[in-house]
Amino acid sequence: MSGISDVVLELDGVSIATSADTSGRTLVHDCTLQVHAGEAVGLVGESGSGKTLSTRAVAGLLPDGFAVGGTIRIDGEDLSLLPAARLRDVRARRLGMVFQTPRAHLNPFRTIGDFMTEALVSVAGERADAAASRAMDLLDEVGVPDPSRRMRQRPGDLSGGLLQRVMIAATLAMDPRILLADEITTALDVTTQEEVMAVIADLRRHRDLAMLFITHDLPLAGAVCDRVVVMNQGRTVETLPAARMREQARDPYTVRLLSASLPGDVERRTGAPAEPILRVDGLRKTFRVRAAKGFGHDEFVAVDGVGFDLAPGGSLGIVGESGSGKSTTARIICGLETADAGSITVKGEDWTRPARGSRGRRRRARIAQMVFQDPYQSLDPRQTVRECLTEAVALHRPKAPRPEVTARVDELLANVALDTTLADRHPRALSGGQRQRVTIARSLAADPEILVLDEAVSALDVTTQVEVLTLLDGIRRSTGVALLMISHDLDTVRRLCDEVVVMRSGVVVEQGPIADVLDRPAAEYTRMLLDSIPREGWVPRRRRPARTGALPSVATTTTAIPRGGTR
Amino acid sequence: MSVAQLAGGRVAAVVRRAATRDPLVIAAVVVVVGVAVMAVFGSALAPYDPNAIYVGPVSAAPSLAHPFGTDDLGRDILSRVLAGTAPSVLGPVIVVLVSSLAGAALGITAAWFGGAVDGIASRLIELIFAIPGLVLAVLAVAMFGKGLLAPTLALAIAYIPIVARLIRAGARQELGRPYMAALRIQGVGSAAICFRHLVPALLPALFAQTTIGFGYAMLDLAAISFLGLGAQPPASDWGVMIAGGQPALIAGAPEQSMFPALFVVLTVLAVNVLGARVTTWAEGGER
Repeated sequence: MSGISDVVLELDGVSIATSADTSGRTLVHDCTLQVHAGEAVGLVGESGSGKTLSTRAVAGLLPDGFAVGGTIRIDGEDLSLLPAARLRDVRARRLGMVFQTPRAHLNPFRTIGDFMTEALVSVAGERADAAASRAMDLLDEVGVPDPSRRMRQRPGDLSGGLLQRVMIAATLAMDPRILLADEITTALDVTTQEEVMAVIADLRRHRDLAMLFITHDLPLAGAVCDRVVVMNQGRTVETLPAARMREQARDPYTVRLLSASLPGDVERRTGAPAEPILRVDGLRKTFRVRAAKGFGHDEFVAVDGVGFDLAPGGSLGIVGESGSGKSTTARIICGLETADAGSITVKGEDWTRPARGSRGRRRRARIAQMVFQDPYQSLDPRQTVRECLTEAVALHRPKAPRPEVTARVDELLANVALDTTLADRHPRALSGGQRQRVTIARSLAADPEILVLDEAVSALDVTTQVEVLTLLDGIRRSTGVALLMISHDLDTVRRLCDEVVVMRSGVVVEQGPIADVLDRPAAEYTRMLLDSIPREGWVPRRRRPARTGALPSVATTTTAIPRGGTR
Repeated sequence: MSVAQLAGGRVAAVVRRAATRDPLVIAAVVVVVGVAVMAVFGSALAPYDPNAIYVGPVSAAPSLAHPFGTDDLGRDILSRVLAGTAPSVLGPVIVVLVSSLAGAALGITAAWFGGAVDGIASRLIELIFAIPGLVLAVLAVAMFGKGLLAPTLALAIAYIPIVARLIRAGARQELGRPYMAALRIQGVGSAAICFRHLVPALLPALFAQTTIGFGYAMLDLAAISFLGLGAQPPASDWGVMIAGGQPALIAGAPEQSMFPALFVVLTVLAVNVLGARVTTWAEGGER
């Protein structure tokens, strides 16, 4: 094993600018960091801080027209001085890169085996049969169960966590010295994240693999890395030992990031249980999915016997992994899906079936509104913020004169603390947090009594998350709107909700007041969800390896549908 | 070009950008405007009566008196090209207007209602698709007699499925986006969702298809006239002129076919270039 002074990757004063003929903006001013052999370094910052650009500069993946300044060294070799062929070779053999969205990097029509062996044959120059056995070894090494079967499957048959492991296995083919991991667990839920991180921890132990771990999640970086480099607005501002980052953080930005990730205190409502504003009872929804084997269809039970009450002005969180049916439940309540069985009662009125016609929809819109996960997709790209809000306001006040509508729009902008100078912009010119404020303002236009938040903050940065959650908490207090919060993030729910429903595979595992469920969980599954949250002293563990199979097979554990699986 | 610049003063930005980087588009604009002027004022601008014979020598090469030369009956080709612009351009315009409107309506209806409505609309689209446009046009001529009206309407019908299929696919995709669900939950009425949100989203694609359709319609109508089924001699339609020039072409006087053919090609090219660029800008502006 090489000594710790052996520097695998070094960035020294790296700057990245767009080419002068467009606008010539400098996006990264000064990125300076070192990764030693076998060391894991976290590169942490919000979106736009330049962490991904810096990493891409190392891997040579910047778009055309980007100019890189400063020095990048791999194993002491300055990349800018290497001839092109040697540069390609150094990058191919010493670096492995894993991205946030494995599914986008895989051809959906080709098998995992095709993908794995193609890299081995064309890059490493192995023979086809040797490549196949090597591919299976690699898949086995990253803990992909039953590799020979996986080799014949396509990306669509595998869950996100498994695909991410396949991507990691593929990068291992060249025996890299350092792994560049760019937000590799951001798209995964906490339990899957834990499994992927456990795999990476094992690999680093066995292979003496260094890692540059890019993330916006400071607690996660602190838990899995040796050192953490904090980046802000294109500059590396601070390097901290991971174990002592809370004590040693000096830079105000780092302090803000650290405090942003701490769960805050919310005053809990206790009081006489009022008549529930929303009552869900025995909800069931099945989807027809293509059969696992041969032709025909299987029934996939997304929601099975879900029931809960939401008090007026109360707040209830539904938590669970992807595929647990929590979003489907929210969509049924808002009339975007039709339930197969069960009932939804809102203010004593039957809402089980979606409203028919524009008039019915408008009437329900005044009671229940929804905020979606992806603020980039839930606004009409052709409308400015003001047009969007004006439409929403005018809809529920058809006879209001123009000045009244304008006044209400300004009031809504103020409610969500959005600068009025942004009102005439299109969504594309807004950040994720600003867009989500617009969607919240839009949902408040109807003065609703229930606000359904479907993963409303999970696409946002930590500091933005906290801002939006604080905003929602304030809105709830000032308007008395009841919140139904769908999330896979237990910290988020703990911050905002009085009660919680834990769902898995379409069924309710546990429900009750937030303190009871999250502090004294009765169900094994709730405990597992809580254990997977990264925090100080957290060690990712591999749990039941079979649990991260393709999503439908998870859901079928509660139903009697035959599947073509071997387990 | 920053996003803010694109958002504000979009038209000015587009024009400025076009002038600096896109000489091809400038050329296309010049051609389209020129053809439009010719369509409106063509007969007035013509130096000779387009149908008067022996205004000069027979099948003469271009000269100062006759810049495009004369045809086999001694008619001035420039005057005939100018006078022929209106009938040659009007036909394709009618074809794309009718087919775009009807096709968009059919496509949006199919995507909006889905289910049985979509099934019926889609079968209808496939049925029309199965009949080639030219065959339909020839059939229309056989039923309603020669002239431009019958083949124009026949082509308009034949072009409907192309637009309808494109718009149906685009509308289905757009309706599946989360912002459409958000609008429904807000309680926005169906008509407002359709005309204020869905239709604007589909306009760039519709515009692109319309310009491509214009080119095909112009060529198809010229072909019908060429076959002798459309505009009848001595009318100075470009297609008729190309057909009428065949003997002269063989005799070594290509002007009679060449000039109208040149205008057909130029117009089709210019409209296609313009359509492609405008669509790219519209889409770029949305991102």
